[in-house]
Amino acid sequence: MIDFELEADLELVQQTAQEFAGHHLRPELRSHEAARSVAEAARAAFDEIGFAGLELPEAQGGSGLGALARCLVLEELGAGDPGAALALDPLGPALYPLLELGGENALAELGGPLLRQPGARAVLVWNGPGGRSHLERRGDRVHGRVPWVPADRVDLLVVLDEAGAFAVAEGVACEELRGAGLRAAGASALTLDAARVCGEWRDPAGARRALARARLYVAALLLGLTRESAEYSRRYALERVAFGKPIAHHQALAFLIADMASAVDCARVLVWDAAWRLDLGEEATEPCASAFIEAAEQAMFVTPNGVQILGGHGFMQDYPVEKFMREGRALSLLLGGVDCARELAGQELAATRGRVALNLEGLA
Amino acid sequence: MRLGIDAATLERLEGVRALGETWIRPVGLEADRLGRPTPPEHAFFEQLVKSGQGRTRWSGEEGAPDKPRPASRVGATRRLLVISEEMSYWDRGVTVSFPGPGLGDPPVTSMGTPEQKRRFLGPFLEPDRPRWGSFAMTEPGAGSDVAAIKTLARRDGDHWILNGAKSFAANASRADWIVVWATVDPSLGRGGHRAFVVERGTPGLGDFVVERKMGLKAYESTSFSLRDCRVPAENLLGGEEHYARRAGFKGAMKAFNATRPLVGVMAVGIGRAALDEALGFAREQDLLGDPRVRDRLERVRRRLRGARLLCWRAAWLADHGRPNMVEASMAKAVAPAVALEAASLGMELLGEVGGRGDHLIEKLFRDVKAMDIVEGTGQILRIVMARHLVQLPRE
Repeated sequence: MIDFELEADLELVQQTAQEFAGHHLRPELRSHEAARSVAEAARAAFDEIGFAGLELPEAQGGSGLGALARCLVLEELGAGDPGAALALDPLGPALYPLLELGGENALAELGGPLLRQPGARAVLVWNGPGGRSHLERRGDRVHGRVPWVPADRVDLLVVLDEAGAFAVAEGVACEELRGAGLRAAGASALTLDAARVCGEWRDPAGARRALARARLYVAALLLGLTRESAEYSRRYALERVAFGKPIAHHQALAFLIADMASAVDCARVLVWDAAWRLDLGEEATEPCASAFIEAAEQAMFVTPNGVQILGGHGFMQDYPVEKFMREGRALSLLLGGVDCARELAGQELAATRGRVALNLEGLA
Repeated sequence: MRLGIDAATLERLEGVRALGETWIRPVGLEADRLGRPTPPEHAFFEQLVKSGQGRTRWSGEEGAPDKPRPASRVGATRRLLVISEEMSYWDRGVTVSFPGPGLGDPPVTSMGTPEQKRRFLGPFLEPDRPRWGSFAMTEPGAGSDVAAIKTLARRDGDHWILNGAKSFAANASRADWIVVWATVDPSLGRGGHRAFVVERGTPGLGDFVVERKMGLKAYESTSFSLRDCRVPAENLLGGEEHYARRAGFKGAMKAFNATRPLVGVMAVGIGRAALDEALGFAREQDLLGDPRVRDRLERVRRRLRGARLLCWRAAWLADHGRPNMVEASMAKAVAPAVALEAASLGMELLGEVGGRGDHLIEKLFRDVKAMDIVEGTGQILRIVMARHLVQLPRE
C-alpha cells in the first residue's frame, strides 16, 4: 500500500546530508561563489562521508544505494548550495552514461581515477536535439564548442546524444566565463580541436536511461534550491514588519507563501516518484523527465517570488535569494533544458493508448 | 517508501471500473442531459443496494469497531482514496447520489448515543430499499464561515424549536433524516452549535427546493427551511452531555484531516477523465503531431500525478493519526485547479465541438469547478496553510 515513510537507512543518509549542507555549504555560499571553488574542509568532509560513491557498486568502494538516496542527498546539498554540490561530486551526472552505457569496467577505468584525485571533475554534456553544444565526431577525434559548463576544469568530458555516448579525457580547452550561476563549480566554455575519444558506446536505450537519471540528478538539486528559497523568504516575511504587522500576515503574501510551499512539495513528490520507480528497476525515462520539468517550472515560480518577498533586499547580494533565482534558471538549462524533457514526456504521452496511468499500478 | 497502487486495491478497482462503465457514467450523462437529479426510484439505486452499497460504516453494535471491517483497517484512508478517485473518474455527481447515510454517517457514528445510532443508522445496516441520510450546515448567509450559522435552536419542554434556512444539502429532499446544525446563541460561535437529527415529516421542515446547478446534476443539492420545526429532545445528537463535555475542549482542533485529500483525489479523478478523453480526441483528429498540443497534455498529466501524490501523502499521514493539516489543505488546494486545467485544455482541443454542449469533456469542465469550493474553498485552505506556515492570526 502507498507509503511515504523513508526507510531507516535513507533517513540517516538524508540527515547526514542535511548536517553537511548546514555546516559546510550554506554558511559559505558567498565565499564559495567568489572563490569559484569549495573550501578544503568541505571537500574533506564530503570525501570522508563518501557522498561521491553513494550509487557506486560496493565492489568499487561505493555504498550501493539507489536513486532515492541520491535524490535525498541532492535535495539537501541543493538547499545548501547547488554550485558547491556540483563542485564536490567528481563524477556528477556523468556517472550515468558511464554506468548505463560503459558498464562497470568503463566506470572503473574512466571514473576511477577521478574519484582518487581531489577536485577532479567529470562533466556531462548533452549533444542531442534541444542542446546548444555543437560537437562533431571525425573518426576518433572531436571538434566543436560547448557554450557553458559549470566547471573550471574538465578531467573527463562525457558527451551524450540519442544514439549513445563518448568520452574525452584530454584536449578539452576551458575558457573561463563569468557564469550566470553555480559559480562555486566554476563556469567555462569548452573548445575541442581534434580531441581524442577515449571511450565510445552506441546504445540508444542506454542513452535514454542515462539521460533520465542525469535529469533526475539535476531535478533533485533544483528541488533543494527551491525549498531553500521558499523557506528563506518565509522566515524573512515573519520578521519584516510593514503597515503594522509581519508582511507574512498580509493575505497577499500569506497566500503566496502557501502556494510556494505547495510548489516545493509538487516538485518533491515527482522527484520521489521517479526515484522510487528507478529503484524498482523501471526505466522511468518519462517520470524522470517529468520530475525535471516540474522541478524547473516550480523553481521558476518560487525563486523569483523569493526575491519579490524580500523586496529591495532581495535584489541585493547581501541576501541569498537572488542567487537562488539565478541558479534555478541556470540549472534548468542543463541537459538540453526543459523543452527537451518536455518533448520526451509529450511524445511518450502521445503514444499512450487508452487510459493514462499516473503512477505505477499493480504491485504486490 | 511505495508510491504505487497495490495489486489488492487494483483488483477492487476493476469492480469499480465495471460499475463505472455500465452504470455510473451513463447515469451521470443522463442526469446532465435531462437537467435533473437521478430520481430515488431509478433502477440504478435498487441495483446498488442489492450489491451491498448504501450502508452505514457503523458496525451495528456498541464497542465494536466501525466498518470497513475487511482485512485490516491499516491504510483505510489511502484505499478509500484510490477507490473514490476511480468512482469520480466515471462521474463525481453520481457517486454523491449513492444511497446511504452519506455525510450524516460520520456525525451520527462519532457523536450519537447508542440509542441514536440504533434508531438512525440501524435501517442502514441491511437496507431493505435505497435510503438516504443527509447533512445540513451551509446556510444562504454562511458558507466557509461556518461559525456564522444563524439557524436558531430554542428548548421548549421535551422539544427543540428550530428556525432558519439551509442550503446545498446533498440528497436532503429524499432523506429519511437530516443532520441539521443550529445554534443556541449566535454570539457563542462554534461553542453554541448543536446538531439535530431532523426526520422526514417533522412539522415545520419543508420548502424543499432542488437547486439548479452548473454541473454535478446527478445528485440533488437542496435548500430547505425550518419554521418552528419541533424536534424531539432525544434527537439532539449526542445529548446535552456531549456539548457540555466538548465545551472543555473549545478551540482544540483535530490534528489530522482525511476528507480534504479525499475530495482532492476526486478532483484528480475528474481531471483524469478529461485527460483520457482529450488525448483520445486529439489522436482521432490527428493533433498529436503538434508540440503545442503535446506540451499541454504533458503538463496536465504531470500535474495530475503530483496532485494525486499530494493527496496520497496526506491520507497516509491521516492513516497513521499524524498531524497533516498543511498537507491535507495543500492537496485540496492544488488538485482542483489542476483538474480544471485538464478539463479546460480538453475543451480547447475540442474547439467548436466543445461549444456544442454535448461532449463529456464539456460536462467535466462544468462538474470540476465545484471541487475548488466544497470541503474548504481554495482560499480557505490557503488560510489554513498560512496559519501553520506563518502563524497567520485569526481575525
